[in-house]
Amino acid sequence: MTSKFGMAGGIPERRVRPIWDAIDSRQFKAALKLSTALLAKCPNSPYALALKALILERMGKPDEALSSCLNARERLYSDEAIPIDDLTLSTLQIVFQRLDRLDLATSCYENACGKFPNNLELMMGLFNCYVREYSFVKQQQTAIKMYKVVGEERFLLWAVCSIQLQVSCGDGGDKLIVLAEGLLKKHVASHSLHEPEALLVYISILEQQAKYGAAIEILSGKLGSLIAIEVDRLRMQGRLLARMCDYAAAAEIFQKVLESCPDDWECFLNYIGCLLEDDSSWSGGTIKDQIYPPKSADCKLSHLPDEVFDSRLSKASCFVQKLQEEANNDSMRCPYLATLEIERRKHLYGKGDGVKIKEALLNYFCRFGHLPCFTTDVGMFLELLSDDERIEFLEKIKRSCDSSSVPIKALGQSITIFKLQGLFGTMFKLPIAELERTAVQMTKMYCKNLPLSKDLDPQENMHGEELLSMACNILVQLFWRTRNIGYLLESIMVLEFGLTIRRYVWQYKILLVHLYSLLNALPLAHEWYKTLEIKNILLETVSHQILPQILMSPLWVDLADLLKDYLKFMDDHLRESADLTFLAYRHRNYSKVIEFVQFKERLEHSNQYLMARLEAPILQLKQKAHNIEEIECILESLSSGVHLLDLSNNDRCKSLTFNEDMQSRPWWTPTPDINYLLGPFEGGSCCLKTDLGQLTKEKEANAGKIFERRSLLPRMIYLSIKCASSLKENIEANGSMPDNKSSSELKSLLERYAKSLGFPFRDALEEIVAIAEGRKFREVFNLEMVDWMNFAVFLNAWNLGSHELELPDREGCLPNMWQIVDSMIERNILGKLRSLEPVIRSRGSDLTVLLLIVTEPLAWHSLVVQSCVRSMLPPGRKKKKSGPADQLNSVLSQVVRGSIQTMHGVIEEVSKWLREQIIRPEDENLDMLLTPVQRKGLIEGPGQVLQILEALASTSDLEIGHRISQAVKSWSLLDVARKIYASQCSVFSEFLQICESKLKLLQALKQQL
Amino acid sequence: MTTIRRFCCNDLLGFASVNLDHLTETFNMSFYMTYLARWPDYFHVAEAPGHRIMGYIMGKVEGQGESWHGHVTAVTVAVEYRRQQLAKKLMHVLEDISDKIDKAYFVDLFVRASNTPAIKMYVKLGYVIYRRVLRYYSGEEDGLDMRKALSRDIEKKSIVPLKRPVTPDELEYD
Repeated sequence: MTSKFGMAGGIPERRVRPIWDAIDSRQFKAALKLSTALLAKCPNSPYALALKALILERMGKPDEALSSCLNARERLYSDEAIPIDDLTLSTLQIVFQRLDRLDLATSCYENACGKFPNNLELMMGLFNCYVREYSFVKQQQTAIKMYKVVGEERFLLWAVCSIQLQVSCGDGGDKLIVLAEGLLKKHVASHSLHEPEALLVYISILEQQAKYGAAIEILSGKLGSLIAIEVDRLRMQGRLLARMCDYAAAAEIFQKVLESCPDDWECFLNYIGCLLEDDSSWSGGTIKDQIYPPKSADCKLSHLPDEVFDSRLSKASCFVQKLQEEANNDSMRCPYLATLEIERRKHLYGKGDGVKIKEALLNYFCRFGHLPCFTTDVGMFLELLSDDERIEFLEKIKRSCDSSSVPIKALGQSITIFKLQGLFGTMFKLPIAELERTAVQMTKMYCKNLPLSKDLDPQENMHGEELLSMACNILVQLFWRTRNIGYLLESIMVLEFGLTIRRYVWQYKILLVHLYSLLNALPLAHEWYKTLEIKNILLETVSHQILPQILMSPLWVDLADLLKDYLKFMDDHLRESADLTFLAYRHRNYSKVIEFVQFKERLEHSNQYLMARLEAPILQLKQKAHNIEEIECILESLSSGVHLLDLSNNDRCKSLTFNEDMQSRPWWTPTPDINYLLGPFEGGSCCLKTDLGQLTKEKEANAGKIFERRSLLPRMIYLSIKCASSLKENIEANGSMPDNKSSSELKSLLERYAKSLGFPFRDALEEIVAIAEGRKFREVFNLEMVDWMNFAVFLNAWNLGSHELELPDREGCLPNMWQIVDSMIERNILGKLRSLEPVIRSRGSDLTVLLLIVTEPLAWHSLVVQSCVRSMLPPGRKKKKSGPADQLNSVLSQVVRGSIQTMHGVIEEVSKWLREQIIRPEDENLDMLLTPVQRKGLIEGPGQVLQILEALASTSDLEIGHRISQAVKSWSLLDVARKIYASQCSVFSEFLQICESKLKLLQALKQQL
Repeated sequence: MTTIRRFCCNDLLGFASVNLDHLTETFNMSFYMTYLARWPDYFHVAEAPGHRIMGYIMGKVEGQGESWHGHVTAVTVAVEYRRQQLAKKLMHVLEDISDKIDKAYFVDLFVRASNTPAIKMYVKLGYVIYRRVLRYYSGEEDGLDMRKALSRDIEKKSIVPLKRPVTPDELEYD
């Protein structure tokens, strides 16, 4: 062991320093030269070899780097005389980690620790290796060794954390926790504890075993003083008492906390829960893990006898009264909301008093009704009111609004009233004219209140900004109800106008992203999305605002970028997470250790992440589907689809996590796969009934199946190509149709695919035949059709190899699989095409299905065809011998030719339609776009809101201040319309390009046959 | 209605509506997690009913001798919860921990010289402009280093403003 002063890895530091300097300044060539020179002097030095490996890796030469590392490792292993130090090992570790060979780094440390058993530095390095590999058991063993060597508290806690990880994230049983407790107990007895985090771990170990009494005892004893913040300790104590079901004592503790933190709502809920002996918040305890907490605070119906219930609640009322009296500032909301919670509990107990609830709500409104958070604060209390009571309540608060109050406050209250109307669903019941009036009213209110914001910094939120979002939402509803596209355009214009005044309002931008997506103007949607500057962890939570739309669009370059950035973020984090965990160990923040590992697992199982890992290669396959050789290269790099298949084979798929923040989505598309606007209005009932939690659950239930289906795709493509191309060889070998490996594997995948569609294989077959023959009509609009068509395509490929398909026999003739595929393609594409409206007014989803059919089932089928053609016409063999193969060939070439003809025909139709849209004169399109909203002197229908905004833009109202009036002047309706048109055109051009590449391929295939 | 508690990893998945604001920076993961791993007491979140995130503060404690101080790295509040003195509450939490637990001499923070609303707020909370840091933000905009003395700095030496501006490389800490 040499770690002497002035020495680095056994080499004098002055020799090593210049190499490090060169690496630090990224002069890798110079560094390599210096390192080669150093190696010439010290050929046996593992450190010199490690340095060279480090440089080679940075230069992008992973193979050479690995061999240099292995060389160094070999020296360390074999030569007893060679000094081993942490610097050499940690340098090797860095390179091995970058080469994705953590196992080799670990083996170096294991070897070193074997040679120097009690060296703490090396053991810490080894522990770190195990942290990186998530080997919790080995972590524990190493930590215990370190603890035995030096007896330090921290190493014991490292071991305890490793045990906790085995239980929570590994497969360790609960018995291990007993071991952890024993270790801690023994240490506390002899050495006590010195770190607050150590105490937290001790308590959590006891809590995990339901040893609440013991935990309270420790917390109340000498060790309790480690928790320096008094209320933190009290909160823990309260929690433990409640878990122990000592509710009276717990309530007392929570009361104490509330006395010093009267605005702590969570604590108030705990307090009242304990008073009423309600254990619901203590039994599960997973609320923190949910992104969508339950709409109303969970609580159980109280089992207490009447008089006890009354006396407990009156006690709570008195306490709340006291808190209200002592409240010393206007922003303390908890004591007032507490009154409502008390009323809610009475209601749940069956002793509710509607009048009192309304009174408490009204009081809360008078105090806080002007705040933007009013509606979310009282959300769960409003649910207690019947429809009539709600209307009555709305009337009451309208009357209570004090018109003489400060303008900002009055504005806030008016906004709240609008929001409540939205929340109650009253807007859905208003007649069209009334709804239009409301939107007009909101817009006028926005304009009228602009002067309030004239002196604000442009970065600050303006007063009444929400009014434009609300007006937009109403216009969207009007579109839904009337199908008049004018409203939709107007809703867009309102937001664009708002962004002209202040370009930072993210709420407007998100609405625009969805509205432009709906209108087939995806590049514009994407542009606005980009201004949100979504990066890092927001990629996980916010990408759903745009990714699903782009995923189903022809904007393949943008899609590739989005996927690449997102995957890079996730992969980087998953790679570096363990190092950060080790940082938490080093800084003795043990609770964070567990948290970090759990968080990493959560991200690793993210549905969106796993889908992106599938969709990125599927995109590549789509992009190259016109060239079978390139597809084969891509498939080879994907290990023929096996890797992706594995993603759904392991347990990941069963424990998917969903981390998207759905709350910021517009009301009409609460999750990416729902868009109410595409269906009928029917009184808006569909969006009133469902709550976000419910929708999310439904989405999650389905996600596993979708994920599985997508994961099968690349492998099925690979096998289909094989089945189609091996045809010839097999026939030639023995003149029969052998069942080869590929086809039997493809069959089993087809079975899985059918199952994920909800059908046994045989029933799925019948389904396909029925669809193809037009006996069963599936809504073409339904995206699932694309999955069914994919199924038919792969089925046909499999049948080519096996010919064992026994389709239900009708009138003695077997339907031909080729015909089924052709007819599905033709029927669905042409059907869809006929139903499309002119470009400027058509909705995004119509085009999506068309595009997906062309870029997926049709593309995969064209690969099968390419493979067939290639096997029928081997290169260099012009004249064919005659034999059984040729007979088959002639039958086959006939059906193949038919298929090519069909595909060519339909794609030509699609291209023709697309071209028509693109070449239409701009003026004509702009006219079509603007006519519905630009009628002079209109008093009904779309355009009224726009009229108000245009009027504001054309007057030079000095009251709104210089900045706002300048901004308003730059507003141009025509410019926005032009942008929409250009954006739509570019989507069509991209689609057209895809079609043209397919036509080229089909043309070439035609000529070959 | 503020439950103020330690920030945890899962909050990173819940703070989108706070961070979508253009003035709130979304840092890379190792930045957040380094703060969580090293200074968990300096990273707090405020929650509203229904576990909605209202805002959060992240900071650290560092320095030697009389420069031992708490530092506010970021403090932010969602639009919905502004104008309710939440930033003030969050700042108090950090000041309290710096003062009582870590016995620091002062708390400091950096703010864009153009961010007048924020500067005004910090002045209200008792911070003074200690010095100007030239081109601190991406080599373009000047930053202001603002400080507030804690109880340990009896003579308030830490907040006596410097007469001349400094450059970023003269700063003691990042």
